[in-house]
Amino acid sequence: MLKFITAVLTSLTTGSIYALMSTALVLVWRSTRVINFAQAGQAVFTTYIGYEVTIRSGSYWIGVVAAIISGALIGAVIDRFFMRPIFKRIKSGPIVMIAPVVATLGLLGIIQAIIGFIWGLTYQSIPAPVSTDGFQVFGSTIAFSPFNLMVLISVTISMLLLTLLFQKTNIGLALRASAYSPEIAKLSGIKVDAIRTLGWALAGAAGGLAGMLFVPSSYLYPNAMDVLLVFGFIAAVIGGLDSLFGAVAGAMILGFAINFATSYISSKLVFPMAFIILILVLLIKPGGIFSSRKGRKD
Amino acid sequence: MIRNNRMKRYSIVSAVVAAGAMVLSTLPAQAADPGVTATEIKLGVSTPLTGSAGLAYGKVPGAMKAYFDYINANGGVYGRKIKLVVRDDKYLPTLAATQTTNLILKDNVFALVGALGTATHSKAYTAASLAAKNVPDLFVNTGFSGFGNISKYPTAFTVLPSYAMEAKIMSKFIKEKFAGQAVALIAQDDEFGVDGVNGFKAGALALANTTLYPQSSLNDARVKALLTGLSAIPGKPVVVLFGTTDVTALIFKAAESLNLVSKFTWIAGSVGGDANTLLALGVKPTTIDGAVAASFFPDAKDSTDAYVSQFMKINEKYNKGVSFDNIVLQGMNSAMLTVQALRAAGKNLTRTGLIEAIQNKGSKFASAGLVPLNYSATSHVGYNGYWFGQLNAKGELKPYGGTLAIFTTDSAAGAVEASTYTRPALPKNGIPTNS
Amino acid sequence: MLKLTSNKKRLLLFILLGWVLLLVGDRVGELRQYQGSFVATYSLAIASIILLTGYSGQLSLGHSALMAVGAYAGALSINNAHLHPVIALIIATLTAGVFGLILGVAVARLTGPYLAGTTLALAVSLPTLANQFPILGGEQGVVFDVGAPPARFGEGFSQYKWFFWISSLAALIMIWMISNLLNSRYGRTFRAIRDNQISAALAGINAGRVKVIAFAVSSGAAGLAGGLLVMLISGVSPSAFPLSLSFSLLTGAVVTGVYNLKGVMLGGLVLVAIPEIADSLTTRIGGSEGFTATLPGFLVSALLILAVLFAPNGPGHLIKRKKH
Repeated sequence: MLKFITAVLTSLTTGSIYALMSTALVLVWRSTRVINFAQAGQAVFTTYIGYEVTIRSGSYWIGVVAAIISGALIGAVIDRFFMRPIFKRIKSGPIVMIAPVVATLGLLGIIQAIIGFIWGLTYQSIPAPVSTDGFQVFGSTIAFSPFNLMVLISVTISMLLLTLLFQKTNIGLALRASAYSPEIAKLSGIKVDAIRTLGWALAGAAGGLAGMLFVPSSYLYPNAMDVLLVFGFIAAVIGGLDSLFGAVAGAMILGFAINFATSYISSKLVFPMAFIILILVLLIKPGGIFSSRKGRKD
Repeated sequence: MIRNNRMKRYSIVSAVVAAGAMVLSTLPAQAADPGVTATEIKLGVSTPLTGSAGLAYGKVPGAMKAYFDYINANGGVYGRKIKLVVRDDKYLPTLAATQTTNLILKDNVFALVGALGTATHSKAYTAASLAAKNVPDLFVNTGFSGFGNISKYPTAFTVLPSYAMEAKIMSKFIKEKFAGQAVALIAQDDEFGVDGVNGFKAGALALANTTLYPQSSLNDARVKALLTGLSAIPGKPVVVLFGTTDVTALIFKAAESLNLVSKFTWIAGSVGGDANTLLALGVKPTTIDGAVAASFFPDAKDSTDAYVSQFMKINEKYNKGVSFDNIVLQGMNSAMLTVQALRAAGKNLTRTGLIEAIQNKGSKFASAGLVPLNYSATSHVGYNGYWFGQLNAKGELKPYGGTLAIFTTDSAAGAVEASTYTRPALPKNGIPTNS
Repeated sequence: MLKLTSNKKRLLLFILLGWVLLLVGDRVGELRQYQGSFVATYSLAIASIILLTGYSGQLSLGHSALMAVGAYAGALSINNAHLHPVIALIIATLTAGVFGLILGVAVARLTGPYLAGTTLALAVSLPTLANQFPILGGEQGVVFDVGAPPARFGEGFSQYKWFFWISSLAALIMIWMISNLLNSRYGRTFRAIRDNQISAALAGINAGRVKVIAFAVSSGAAGLAGGLLVMLISGVSPSAFPLSLSFSLLTGAVVTGVYNLKGVMLGGLVLVAIPEIADSLTTRIGGSEGFTATLPGFLVSALLILAVLFAPNGPGHLIKRKKH
């Protein structure tokens, strides 16, 4: 029984961090039709900024705010000054499909190199703001601590805010319209380019938050979020790249599958499990679980 | 058609460019042994400097270099200065293979010293053709007993006692001191961990639970699941940790989080048991207090020991900013052995000569180890024993039960025997004068 | 006048290239032979990517996994079944090819990011399978020992020259076969699928089957490259095929022009030369540990971005454009 509860709780925790990454990827995909591999680099970079602020200010939460804001700024800058010139240059030919992806890969490498150059490659730590000792339940300690709870709450709040933004505000409407049908959106007077940059900014902010929530339980170094990127991507694909709800659902499915498999079967099954889930989903529904029939214009 | 021709030309051009680049950058072949000149001896080491293993063992090359700098400042080896080339292999076998090959082919080192890691170095040894090229592979920084196999690794010399030896002595220790408690083993899933498993078998220790984990696969959640499972064992089980320090730290921190520290008796193997590194990685002092660890050196905090205090002085002057601990002690000790080996090989320094020097005279080299060195014409095995101690909250290792009890054995089925060995005295000022 | 078809011309070109490499291999030192072997291996891997992505339009991030399949198959053939190294390499190619065939069928319905995601997942998960099955040796891996050069080549024939001969020859043969394939009817079919799947289907092309063929051939080539790579490091282990390898290969492919097989050797050269250049630079000018360790990655990534921005269709087209 204890093992089951532990598995469920750790699944929720890992799933929620994957959810932040997959949300970020889906945000960029919906607005730009690009898989942003540089997301891992952006997230780590903003987490380093959060780390510096935390060290200097002594407060973790100020660091989180700094990470979120810098994440948004960096995301916007990348869209405006990097992605847009690339799209301008590559208008035709089959390269259109892979050039942006490859470009984000290159950007990832550059960001990680810059991080290594500025901060060195030694592992850093960000101490957690609340205790990481497990809660006491029925006399024994479970593998779920106040810190894990904090992560879960933070992610839930962020998701709620994002949903509110998308469903209840004009900007949210503009974001959805531009992603779904850019030409019509433009005709309605929506500044599609600016809206797209906003999408990147939101994605960058999500990545920064993900990093700050992830690092206290691990270490901070240039490649710290590579694995998260991979799982976030897989989660996004499972959920169907077109919906934010799918991104979160996919992340939870992935988190549960992996944690239960490693808990009950073998700790060596982490990556194979992810692959199996992905292949199963895509075999049944090539567009991901929650994808709609239309909308895949790639 | 024109397009085809131009493209064809382009492909020929690219091939010629590649070929030309290779030819023009070729170096003339060497006649004598590389890496030795009248003024310099070049040694090489492939070791993790970055990555999670770098956290734990990154200090080794710096410590070796500090000792070499000290010797260089005091006349070098027959007037030659020692230069140490360090390459980072991130504890990855593939990288170790290419880096070691680079050390031989590109940096043209005379010999390798202190190569670190079982899986990494066993790959690197074959990939870099060390046997065919007769490159001395001194004092490898791993306890894998396989490296003592002269037919497979003819130019390698171990220094650390093997993991099989450690497991055998540990088996005797556990059976004596913790009879009646179940024993669980958590070990790295490669030759290092398997060497230990075999040693426990040879030591006839029954294991209630054996978990072998791939090096890169453990994280906080998985460790917690593992420990939760082990906590179901009744009594106070003994948990033996046969992994690198970063993983040992992970396990300790998970136990802290689950409040399971006092549930088990912890025994940290030699590879992952350095208290200072564990504390630096965030393990609480109360957690390591009482944990059992094995060593074959005096404790690095024991400044009454002649070797320790001499190395501390060298560290102060030539390795500024680095705190002195067991890792630094080990590095400097290997460096001191290296200098003695180079001296014993004589002024006419050759690779064959170096190997023979260690075989013939190595067992008499001065070193900080409290157990004997076993080099001979038929044995490339260094230290062969351990003593057990308990860590306290300050990270000091004190003999278990108060008295120092050293045991020696071999990596096969030989018995575990109490040792009466006394080590050679420290050369004056730590500068060897042997020949 | 002897009528030389383009096929025969291509064969002659490759034979000529083979002779050049053989001669060069004789003249250079062991270090260059060692590096040259890597160039040959990477060139082959890049060729497989060009086939799959450039010609049939399927973006795969999982070539490191396909190389791993070939590598393990080859290593097990030599180590456990004690087969001749040449047979082992052929087995490596075939095993990876069959694997690619199955994979191709599984992912035939996927496009764009879904395919990328699946191949990405494959790339990170496949190497870890080595820890599941003891026969695959876990982190330790399996030894791949092609043995010393045959005695009849004499004393001076170094191990590295032997590696160079094997890898160059194998790569040359495989790339020649791919080149023939791409210049045949199949090549045109691939490009038709890539450019417009619907029109191709209307023209009667069975898109699914063609994509699977492309996948299988590409995987076979990648498997061979994997076998050659582990020959150079004397053994296969999970760490030999990290995700970053897939990314590097894609970089090499884009830099040399992902639509054209011709410059493939340049791509391989770039992948080997950049870390070398970075290494020499850092030994000369020193610098912090952070600088030395990150410089190669920085150079490769910068090169990739420049290539995408200024020569997205490969340097060949760049030269062509300039001449107008």
